[in-house]
Amino acid sequence: MLSCVLFAVCIGLYIQTSVKRHHENSEDRVVPNARQLMSGIHSSVLEPAEESDYIAPDNASKWELFRHSMIWTDTVASGRRFLISLVLLVPAVLLALHIGLFPYFGAGFLRFVLFFDKIVALSLLPILFIVFGIDEWSKIALIVIGVAPTMILDVTQMVKAVPREQIVKAFTLDANDFDVAYRVIFRQVLPQVINSLRLNLKPMMLFLFAGEMIASSDGLAYRIAIMRRHMGMDVILPYVLWVAFLLFFIDLALRVLNRRMHPWFQS
Amino acid sequence: MKITMRRFFLAVLFFVLVTAGLSLSQEAYAEVPTFTVGWSVYAGWNPYFYMQKSGILKKWADKYGIVIKVQRFDYAASLDSFVAKNIDACTMTNMEALDMPAAAGVDSTALIVGDYSNGNDAVLVRNGLTFDRLSSQRIMLVQKTVSEYLLERAMVINGQQAQLPKLRLINTSDSDIVPAFMNNASNTTVVTWKPLVSQILADKSVHSIFDSSKIPGEILDLLVVRSEVLNRPDGSGVKFAKAITGAWYETIQNLTGSGATQMQALKISASASGDSVDSYREQLKTTYLFAKPKDAADFATGPLLKQKMELVRQFCFKHGLLGKDIKSVDDVAIAYPDGSVQGRKDRVRLRFNPTYMQAAQQGKL
Repeated sequence: MLSCVLFAVCIGLYIQTSVKRHHENSEDRVVPNARQLMSGIHSSVLEPAEESDYIAPDNASKWELFRHSMIWTDTVASGRRFLISLVLLVPAVLLALHIGLFPYFGAGFLRFVLFFDKIVALSLLPILFIVFGIDEWSKIALIVIGVAPTMILDVTQMVKAVPREQIVKAFTLDANDFDVAYRVIFRQVLPQVINSLRLNLKPMMLFLFAGEMIASSDGLAYRIAIMRRHMGMDVILPYVLWVAFLLFFIDLALRVLNRRMHPWFQS
Repeated sequence: MKITMRRFFLAVLFFVLVTAGLSLSQEAYAEVPTFTVGWSVYAGWNPYFYMQKSGILKKWADKYGIVIKVQRFDYAASLDSFVAKNIDACTMTNMEALDMPAAAGVDSTALIVGDYSNGNDAVLVRNGLTFDRLSSQRIMLVQKTVSEYLLERAMVINGQQAQLPKLRLINTSDSDIVPAFMNNASNTTVVTWKPLVSQILADKSVHSIFDSSKIPGEILDLLVVRSEVLNRPDGSGVKFAKAITGAWYETIQNLTGSGATQMQALKISASASGDSVDSYREQLKTTYLFAKPKDAADFATGPLLKQKMELVRQFCFKHGLLGKDIKSVDDVAIAYPDGSVQGRKDRVRLRFNPTYMQAAQQGKL
């Protein structure tokens, strides 16, 4: 209830600013009014992007229009990069499991990751361009390099926090290394790992946006960068809200999944 | 006890005096009209830095009894501030003057036509690529800027208009375009501006196939002021226009003059963008400065300007830069010194005003 009030206050402030600015200048684009926003939403949801070569047939259905719209093509492009980097985080989590559990992995990797984590990934971009080119892989690499070390350190801590007795007990019950790692430890820390991932969604999106703003020809941040060039806030604001909604939705899905998979877990 | 009380009163007294003094000085300050000019790093705009450092600006502002502040911005941020009305005047190209403030309903006036790009912007290719083969290549550039305008003009002039829709453009931030292009030999084409052009041309396999010297007068660098500021009823806007124009032409006179003054002007202007004097001189070679107010005023009142602006406004409209709501190119109209208007007369948003350049020419500032 209280948060509803905060939402209302924000919207109210926005409307007040918008009305004031439109009073001074009826064509103001910095704080678009409802009509401008509606036309912005309409063109982003039902019209193809300028650079797209799709021309709608006269009797095209709404769905057909949507499939070729700006927001859909951009979401697909960004979503693909996001999902690929999400998949690439899985080996990072497994590496962290080993670092936390097996001393020789720890000796080999921990200090390196600890240092690597402090490197500001964005400043590595020129190097990423050399290694991965300017297409998809440099953007995905930026996300992974930016987020993976933090995840690894986080998961390592979780693994180390599992009581030592359990590991000893498992070994005495004739478990091998694999059993201990994947059937005892991993299952216990998995809900925490998912929670850690939830916290890292936003950094991932930040890195994705940074990558797309620097060099790309499609994607959500690409569109925002292009629209910024002529103050197309009527399109940018719906895009920002859409990205927020997407992140909220992914976060919610992970939370529900976590609760379903691990009803025993109390966070 | 007594002593601490006395100290306390002294402290209170001191505090009151200081606050009173501060508020007094603020009041005195508020009486003097203050104007802020935003500029960003570019060969033709760096002199604003020198103008401020050398005291030329202060001299002219004092003459008209106003205060002028000069502030450096990133280019995009300077335009944002101008549209948001945080600053009164701003340096920008003719294209951005049309698609940022004018298209956003901020009535703007071009006070000074400073220069035009005469080779500062260029289309660079690797390994002798030609225009008829560009459509199969990835082209790196900052989209929706003069770079894209230059590329389109180059394609049209080279008879490749039909290929325009097929170009594969990669929007690349200007802060990273040099390493992104240079570090990978599979990137063949890039469109950008100086000094980035010079950095890329250091690679011997890259050369320029088109530059802005082939479209003279189309990429103009202006000083734009909000019309409402210029037309302030108390006349302070006019004072500002006179002061900044006077300061500008004195600055340029020093810059294009000779001897120690010129060296000083070059040195400070170059330092504004962290360039060496040699590098800055090289950039100036491809910048056609309207050094004399007469040149600038003649250009602003001549027929050429209308032709060039027609090309620019059609480009802006075609690329949706005038905004989603603008259904006709005529809805963002441009007014010229001779009273003619491109577009609808009731929707004039950008005005070329040569009054102050002419006044400078006649020595009436």
